[in-house]
Amino acid sequence: MHFEKDLCAGRGTCLPVCPTKAIRMKNKKAVRIVEQCIGCGECIRVCRESAVSAATEKPEMLGEDHIAIALVSPVLYAQFPGVMPKDVLLGLRQMGFQHTIDMSYFLEIFQYATEEFIRRNRKSGQAPWPLISPVCPVVVRLIAFKFPSLLPNVLPVLRPVALMAREVRRNLITEYLDKGQEVILYYINPCPTKKDPSCLPPRSRSAPAEVALGINDIYPQLIKHVEEIKAADAIPFYQTRFEYETCATGNASMWGMSGGEIADMDIDRSLAVSGMEETIHYLEKIEMGLFQDIEYIEFRTCREGCLGGALNAIDKYLAKSTVQKMVKQFGLGRRLHRDNILRMYEKGEFQTDKDPSKLTSLFGARKKALTIENIQKIEKVLQMIKGTDCTACGAPDCRTFAEDVVRGEAKLNECLYIVDT
Amino acid sequence: MPRLKKSFHIKARDFIRAGEASINVQNLLKSMDFDPRLIRRVAICGYESEMNVVMHGGDGTLSIEVDEQKLVLEIIDDGPGIEDIELAMQAGYSTANDDHREMGFGAGMGLPNMKKNSDHIQIESPKNQGTAVRMVFFIPEKGKTN
Repeated sequence: MHFEKDLCAGRGTCLPVCPTKAIRMKNKKAVRIVEQCIGCGECIRVCRESAVSAATEKPEMLGEDHIAIALVSPVLYAQFPGVMPKDVLLGLRQMGFQHTIDMSYFLEIFQYATEEFIRRNRKSGQAPWPLISPVCPVVVRLIAFKFPSLLPNVLPVLRPVALMAREVRRNLITEYLDKGQEVILYYINPCPTKKDPSCLPPRSRSAPAEVALGINDIYPQLIKHVEEIKAADAIPFYQTRFEYETCATGNASMWGMSGGEIADMDIDRSLAVSGMEETIHYLEKIEMGLFQDIEYIEFRTCREGCLGGALNAIDKYLAKSTVQKMVKQFGLGRRLHRDNILRMYEKGEFQTDKDPSKLTSLFGARKKALTIENIQKIEKVLQMIKGTDCTACGAPDCRTFAEDVVRGEAKLNECLYIVDT
Repeated sequence: MPRLKKSFHIKARDFIRAGEASINVQNLLKSMDFDPRLIRRVAICGYESEMNVVMHGGDGTLSIEVDEQKLVLEIIDDGPGIEDIELAMQAGYSTANDDHREMGFGAGMGLPNMKKNSDHIQIESPKNQGTAVRMVFFIPEKGKTN
């Protein structure tokens, strides 16, 4: 996340929406506490001046001196009403990507593996109910930061993006790397989370470089190509070696919608929850012991699911309507066979070696814990201020300001409403 | 020894805001250096007892007391009280009505769950003088679990 000082108008709209309270106003400009940011993008969404941007790169330098591979979130398909996913991928090829990888293929693999884990967990009780979907990286980071007691509930199956990256590394790019060619993986995302570093294998000497692009970064260029493809009588043919290099189904974009992950799953007791506030509320309830009769919960911190991601090109409700039309036309249905996936499952292909403590160290709260004396001092500060959460001091709310004062990170006189006693 | 006590109000029959007092306790404990598993146990007990007040009791308070050795969760309300505490402690026994059950409550697991998740529980409920439930959680030494 990048905060552009010159653009910031000092309105402070980003302060209260941050779920980890990682933003403060200093000298009338928003600044971010880096180690507390979980990359959710809520601040991007509310900033009218566009002073906050995702730390993604621009696609100018495509394919000149390297093999460019696009790893495509199915949310991209929902940005083009009336266009088939395969034509969207074709548009990317014309933009200069040598390969396009359809992530929905790996989401389907993940879906089979998840069903199998849940089926086995009913007997083994290996993990506690309700299991929480690991698909949205912000949810996993939020749990590590705010709800560490729920880390055992996070489904221990490799995330789709990790399955995709592994396959591409194993089979697609090896020949290029053997020839000494440079390969760059471009993740095309609806949100600023980039890729979850905890899910990717460690970078080795022969590993390709990785770049995260927002959907809105490539949209202006891509829509021109997509329009051309739509209008053309004959479309150029690109040879593909792997099934996942194109997208033959029309319903792949369903994954971007809240509920899209569980819609076709073979699990009766499941829920889909979307929105940051709602997600936090449900996690609080799970922590208090509720929902143990539910087996699987799909959480997305963006309202309406990934279609509501902060880096999308079109409005989430328009995108949702596109998805619904596609699903109506093509039905749900899967293209892969369960038996093949089960064989992979038996071999342990989906197990995460993700250690919860690693997640906690990556995304857990890193502020020093408060002592009883600290909390007593915070209470005293709170009694001295008006307590309206006006944010004029630069903190998102009075309680956070009081904590900053006690930690020595803010001065009491920065509050405009100190009550004289 | 430093000690801290914070109290939160619980409103009878307010099912929409039920759980807020427990969430406040959770957030307070999370800002301090406690094991997530201990916080989870307190959270479960807090919520169960808060729901009891919302469903059966009168208005009440939920308070948390912290010192170096233990956490004490205390729930006091001015409702009708518990007629037979021993019976209420049995799993599956419930005095919930149909409305409660429709909302998914009233499985008769409240008090048994609180007993299971706390290190010590004490209930006082003299007839028509409200109810006081006090639960103690010992803070495990660093590196140890309980």
